[in-house]
Amino acid sequence: MSTRINIGPVHPSTHGVLRLVADIEGDTVLRVEPHIGFLHRGVEKLVENRMYMQSPAYMEKLDYAAPMSYDELYVAVVEKAMGVEVKERAQWVRVVLLELQRIASHLLWLGTAANDLGQFFTLFMWCMKDRDMILRLLESASGARMFYVNMRMGGLVQDLPPGFGGGARDVLDYLERRVKKYEAYLEKNPVFMERTKGVGVLGKEDAINLGVTGPVLRASGVGYDTRKDNAYYVYGKLSFRPQTRSEGDVFARYRVRMMEIAESIRLVRDALDRMPDGDAIGMPVRLITTGAKNREASASRETPRGEGIMYMVADPQRPYRLAIRSPTFVNLAALTHIAKDCRLADVFAILGSLDIVMGDADK
Amino acid sequence: MKTERNELLNGLEGLYSKGYTYLVKIYAVDYVKTLEAVYVVRNMEEAKEERLEVELDPSDAWVPSAMRVYKAADWYEREMQEMFAITIKGRQAERLLLEKWNGSGAPLRKNFAWSEPYEKMK
Repeated sequence: MSTRINIGPVHPSTHGVLRLVADIEGDTVLRVEPHIGFLHRGVEKLVENRMYMQSPAYMEKLDYAAPMSYDELYVAVVEKAMGVEVKERAQWVRVVLLELQRIASHLLWLGTAANDLGQFFTLFMWCMKDRDMILRLLESASGARMFYVNMRMGGLVQDLPPGFGGGARDVLDYLERRVKKYEAYLEKNPVFMERTKGVGVLGKEDAINLGVTGPVLRASGVGYDTRKDNAYYVYGKLSFRPQTRSEGDVFARYRVRMMEIAESIRLVRDALDRMPDGDAIGMPVRLITTGAKNREASASRETPRGEGIMYMVADPQRPYRLAIRSPTFVNLAALTHIAKDCRLADVFAILGSLDIVMGDADK
Repeated sequence: MKTERNELLNGLEGLYSKGYTYLVKIYAVDYVKTLEAVYVVRNMEEAKEERLEVELDPSDAWVPSAMRVYKAADWYEREMQEMFAITIKGRQAERLLLEKWNGSGAPLRKNFAWSEPYEKMK
């Protein structure tokens, strides 16, 4: 006979306000269903009543673990609607900022997900400390520690400060050593290996049919990465390889994210070296308010959690309709399928490996 | 490309057999006189995308469920049903996904009534 238990919506392992309802027999999960919507703010409706310039700050609150990515995604779709080209230097700076944001987001994920697996707080504190070094870099570039609003149509609000490159290289050198240490710390730990290897396996066919995205998809052996397959900005000029694994379990998702950190470190270094001089400042606000030319536009970006896409039907002054495809929403929808017939404790290992941010799922 | 509601599933199945096995997004747009449901699918190998657009009458808005072809359609369809009151036929009725309220109406339709304090702010 099965028992139904409730987990959340306020629970330390649900990474926000997520409620899970699980049918269990013994401690084997027959079915687990996520209930979302506790953080639903109706952003898609709110932006319909705001001018283009007013919304980037809203968008950052969707994914509060990687605000820069959403800021940029929204600005990119408005740029498409307005038919604006991004300045050459701004493209390079954006790549640097986005990749730094990806490292910060993956570090936050590593700390919290390992914490779910019983690695207690040591790794979490290390990761938070390292993430803070990146946040300080982003603060020096934008003036804010977490919610930057540093993107403006056609470029940036402000260019990188003098000395940014040197500071960033120091941080990256340090992080490279630290990431190796974390890998050793976790992969030599039998508890961690036991709880991740072979747990929550998602096969290639299922991953595609369930529509999962980002590191979750790449850990199942599908090498799709928007930065490569639908390249934007200067990703085409940088030598970039999507990071994949074929096992599709929790360990593979962990490995993909660790390899992505290493890849991002390389990308940032490369971009800093090759970045041209010039003007990177975006359009003046009065030009942005004069309006969009194209009726329909869409932009697709590889955010740390997966592929974020915005489809916009544009009015001259404000979005007529903005449809957001958020990566957490699709990854979380697959939880019921992945966490079938696993142990109850493994649900949290799987949930952690999906890297969810509830603001992103609920919109 | 535009398609008819009755042809939608055939269209999706046709695309699926041509390698468009990944459902990117289902969303709707309210053009007041008509509603439009948009299905975006992708061929992962060739990184190509196709769109199927279905025009609907706002007073009789329903589409057949695409879950037979794409499992990923599940939450997108529920979201669309909730936000646009577009009924999804051929699947069981589910609880609300995003909204935790007892109000009525489809929030993302253009005729949705804002609450009074917000109407003043607008």
